Amino acid sequence: MTTALDVRGLSAGVDGKQILEGLDLVVPLGQMHALMGPNGSGKSTLCHVLTGKAGYVVSGEALLEGKELLSLEVDERARLGLLQSFQYPTEVPGVALREFLLEAAEERGISEAEARDRIEREAARFDVTRFLDRAINNDLSGGEMKRSEIFQMAVLRPRVALLDEIDSGLDIDAVKQVAQAVEEMRSPDLGVLMITHYNRILRYVTPDRIHVMIGGRIVDSGGAELAEELEAGGYKAIRERLGLVETSSEPARRPADFFTDTPFDV
Amino acid sequence: MEAAYQVFTSLEEPTGAEEDWRYVELDHTFSELQPVAVPGTELEPGRFVASLPERSGRVLIVDGHVLEHDSAVAGVQRFSDLDDDPGFTGMVPTDHNKLAAAHAAFSTEGARVEVKPNAVMEAPLVVEIQATTAGTVSFPHLQVVVGENAEASVLVDYRSADGARLLLVPRVDLELGNGGRLRFLSVQGLDHAATNVVHQRAVLSRDSTSRIGEIGLGAKLGRLDLGVSLVGDGSSSEVVGLYFGEGDQTLDYRMVIDHQGRSTTSDVFLKGAVEDDAQSVFTGLLRIEKDAARTSTFETNRNLVLSENAKAHSVPNLEILCNDVICGHASSVGPLESDHLYYLMSRGLNRERAERLLIRGFFQQVIDRLPIEGLGEVVSDEVFRRFVAAQEEGRVA
Repeated sequence: MTTALDVRGLSAGVDGKQILEGLDLVVPLGQMHALMGPNGSGKSTLCHVLTGKAGYVVSGEALLEGKELLSLEVDERARLGLLQSFQYPTEVPGVALREFLLEAAEERGISEAEARDRIEREAARFDVTRFLDRAINNDLSGGEMKRSEIFQMAVLRPRVALLDEIDSGLDIDAVKQVAQAVEEMRSPDLGVLMITHYNRILRYVTPDRIHVMIGGRIVDSGGAELAEELEAGGYKAIRERLGLVETSSEPARRPADFFTDTPFDV
Repeated sequence: MEAAYQVFTSLEEPTGAEEDWRYVELDHTFSELQPVAVPGTELEPGRFVASLPERSGRVLIVDGHVLEHDSAVAGVQRFSDLDDDPGFTGMVPTDHNKLAAAHAAFSTEGARVEVKPNAVMEAPLVVEIQATTAGTVSFPHLQVVVGENAEASVLVDYRSADGARLLLVPRVDLELGNGGRLRFLSVQGLDHAATNVVHQRAVLSRDSTSRIGEIGLGAKLGRLDLGVSLVGDGSSSEVVGLYFGEGDQTLDYRMVIDHQGRSTTSDVFLKGAVEDDAQSVFTGLLRIEKDAARTSTFETNRNLVLSENAKAHSVPNLEILCNDVICGHASSVGPLESDHLYYLMSRGLNRERAERLLIRGFFQQVIDRLPIEGLGEVVSDEVFRRFVAAQEEGRVA
């Protein structure tokens, strides 16, 4: 089994506040792992640090198929094979999705004919054809944005896909659609790390392994039984079983967190 | 003209201290400039005009003299006896400023385009306004009269001879009859040694629609003083523009959109970038008169500042004398958005490439709304070329 992503002793802080506390995580090629944790546990920070967002003080290692990522620029990491689906993808005015993907494909040495073909095919598969000639993320609903993010991955074919809060802010129909898209993207050449706060998406996708993150590190890893434990008793049950004390430092909330915190479909 | 001359002599040259001339230096002294008795040689056709797929006709004004005026559709006239034309000084008050007074006092001829009621001019009439003789001042004059329920389309192409230091003070009057529709685009592509101060006015009658576009690329100082008066009920105005300043250029936009009639709508949408030591100025006043009930109006001005020494001044203003209105403004000045760069780079685009895509995207929103079709690509390419050159020479911060 080849390793897609190998994170070792990763620590990260921002503005003097430590968020990741020596995190270890391995995602093999061909597998999909879920990373679950309460708000403030550092899930999104992990994504930002791996993708290369500015502003974090980072130590430790992160390897993509054995190649060190942390010393590289954002775009170099992407070309090496790391892509993130953002929790809040930004709208980019005036830049059409198709044009953008053609440039990104060219930068990877994919021929234009091949790129155009992939765009058409994958757009049909993820039902985003009507967004291709629109500005990136312009006027898209939450679910459409997430499908568009996954579609971009299908075109650019990363080796590691980070799906940050892929189900946040979505109604149940959109969660089902996005879950289907996530299952669709599985490939023997891809390792997927799907990050989620709330376990409802796990009713529609079946990860190979589930990791629970609390306080900046992975506290437990396992199979479907972990999801069941979370479903029954929440993060509180996990904390109690592991003897962890709840920390009081919650990060600033964003409005969409309200939706991720509220189990509408239960 | 004698009266105008009196006004001209009574006014001071702008010093930059006046509110209306803030940020701007007019480095010409009238006494040192010569009027043009014999116009220079016409310039080679410019690339903006060349890229137009079709045209209704051509007007050529060189150094203030009308050298050619033909049109298959519109009535195009050259008029030389301006004293006999009461409309000539109608739209810009002679005492508006020293330059407006100079135009009224010294302009000797102009072109008038008159589209008859119900007539439709589909392809644009091309008006080339050129200045060729260094050390001169000239006063080109253009009137466009759109008859009742008529439709007109006009492209004005401003150019000047390479390296010629000169002053151009054009006047453009646009008059729309009831139900008239006008698409008007000016492309200011003067040489960087020239100074251009345009006074342009549009007066809209009932249910008329004007779409005015402006592309500002050239001149050392390129100033557009634009007034749109929505006099008739139900009239509607759109002003869109883009500008890109490099070197030590100043691109200067002063706009007043005056809502007088009822149920009128207007939108101003201007985007610009400055690099090197260039600066841009936008002041936009949306004025809603007392009886202008059910006015809907908005103005947007977005600026990219691409180098440390470049400056963009953006001052939107509202003056509302009526309470049954919807209006607003948006303005911004800053570098390329770091969030946008991050997003594009996170998909594998290197920084230079991501910046280029963002620059194209920034202006594409204006290009998509230009009132005259067929010029988008050449305008986009020109703006892009300027940015890429600056990027490659390390002039972008």
